[in-house]
Amino acid sequence: MVAILNSHNNQISATGSTAELEKIREFVGAQALLFGFEEIDAFQIALAVDEACSNLIRHSYHNDNNRQFVVKIEQNNGELIIQVMDNGDSFNPMSVPEPDMEEYFKKFKRGGLGVQIMRKVMDKIEYLPAQTSTALNILSLTKRLA
Amino acid sequence: MNESKFTIEHHSIGDIKCLKIQGYLDAHTAPQLESAIGNLVQEGKHKIIVNFSELDYISSAGLGVFMVYIEDVRELGGDIKLSEMKPKVFTVFDLLGFPMLFEIVENNHAAIAKFSN
Repeated sequence: MVAILNSHNNQISATGSTAELEKIREFVGAQALLFGFEEIDAFQIALAVDEACSNLIRHSYHNDNNRQFVVKIEQNNGELIIQVMDNGDSFNPMSVPEPDMEEYFKKFKRGGLGVQIMRKVMDKIEYLPAQTSTALNILSLTKRLA
Repeated sequence: MNESKFTIEHHSIGDIKCLKIQGYLDAHTAPQLESAIGNLVQEGKHKIIVNFSELDYISSAGLGVFMVYIEDVRELGGDIKLSEMKPKVFTVFDLLGFPMLFEIVENNHAAIAKFSN
């Protein structure tokens, strides 16, 4: 059964600190379970959102906990859509090429795996860069309920 | 840093060092593990078991810690073996094919036996 998410509790704000990741995962995981996902799927959806937020905190907000961003959850036709909205420099994570993992392991490479986890877990990833200086960048991560 | 969300217990089994990790291993806590393994490598300890029995979460930041040291310890004749992973934590390793590079075993006994071979 697909529950109706409470529209008043469908978003949280966080600061540019990795200490915020745990509360983001708890929020997303709980909402995914409520939506009807199995525990392992909810775990992995929370992981994908953690990866998106970790990249944002590190690369765009430079661990500045005076900066804020919002994680918002929507539903549409059996799809759970998680939006990460920020006011940093625009960067489309989908522009990162997919790594060849055999090559990655052979050369003992490091980093760059967060985007790959997002790709593996989610069904659709879209990025809408801010169109004006006061608007927000929006990264949308979508997972269909099987 | 909130220490209670991630802890590391150190044990020695002969010349093998075991790190039992507990809690959440993410971008916030990964530096603690990186520093713990880095200290062992600096001390010349190259046979390392990381026991995951009480680890509830790992993200790519955690996976990255193992990539930092695996080449060095193997060049010195050692290894980092990963033991007793919960199924949900294993799925994160499996998503990216990490079992291709790392030996993931059922428990510490199996890891010790692998070092003895």
